[in-house]
Amino acid sequence: MTMPLKIDARTEGEGTAVLSLAGEVDVANAGQVRDAALKLMSTGTKHLVVDLNATEYMDSTGLGTLVGLLKRMKESGGDVVIAVARPRVKRLFEITGLTQVFRIYDDAAAALKEVRG
Amino acid sequence: MKTSTPDQVEIKIPRRAEFVRVARMAACALASQLEFTYDIIKDIELAVGEACANAVEHVSDDAGDEIVVRFSIDPTQLVVEVQDRGQGFDAERAAQAGAADMENWDDPGGLGLVVIREVMDELVVDCDPESGTCVRMVKRRSR
Repeated sequence: MTMPLKIDARTEGEGTAVLSLAGEVDVANAGQVRDAALKLMSTGTKHLVVDLNATEYMDSTGLGTLVGLLKRMKESGGDVVIAVARPRVKRLFEITGLTQVFRIYDDAAAALKEVRG
Repeated sequence: MKTSTPDQVEIKIPRRAEFVRVARMAACALASQLEFTYDIIKDIELAVGEACANAVEHVSDDAGDEIVVRFSIDPTQLVVEVQDRGQGFDAERAAQAGAADMENWDDPGGLGLVVIREVMDELVVDCDPESGTCVRMVKRRSR
């Protein structure tokens, strides 16, 4: 029923990973995103880039999942950084004020550079 | 004075997350017929998705098994009502919550209403103990 969400998780050196979300992130599948990120955290990821440049649709449930991940990651001394240039998805962060909560970059390469310091 | 009755389209979906997309697709299809711009069609889709997600996630378990999505079309506006049998939630508090609260929020329920309020022209949430919760959203048509 729900449009498939393709989640690609890749590590980028010790403690750093990129989670790429392709398709739609909504109330039906946001839990898959949380599970994929928690799996990365359980294997040592402290700095996570969430790449939304192939995300065609996201709702507030998806946003809430990202907020939850950011909280968990910060509690363990890490961080979540967002890569998104798509205007409609980026606008969601603006509407909800989450541009004040997340660091947001246009692409994963720039976000990775940021989290690596 | 002659008045016309709005055209109405009504769909019912099971109150489950996997069916929210069906309501969104219906909203897209209908809004496309009304010559809204692409961005406004996607805004309407988003608003309907948020309202349905609220009905799935943020009402009590005894809120019934279905969600009714009713579209009313007249020459001036599209009205979308999303109704469930739940007792509702503190809509005003949720809708007025801002970014300052985000880092302390485990429950993103209010975010959906923040989004709807931004992308639609009007939003009213009516919670009635007997009839349930109705989220009424309006998008005006430019003529």
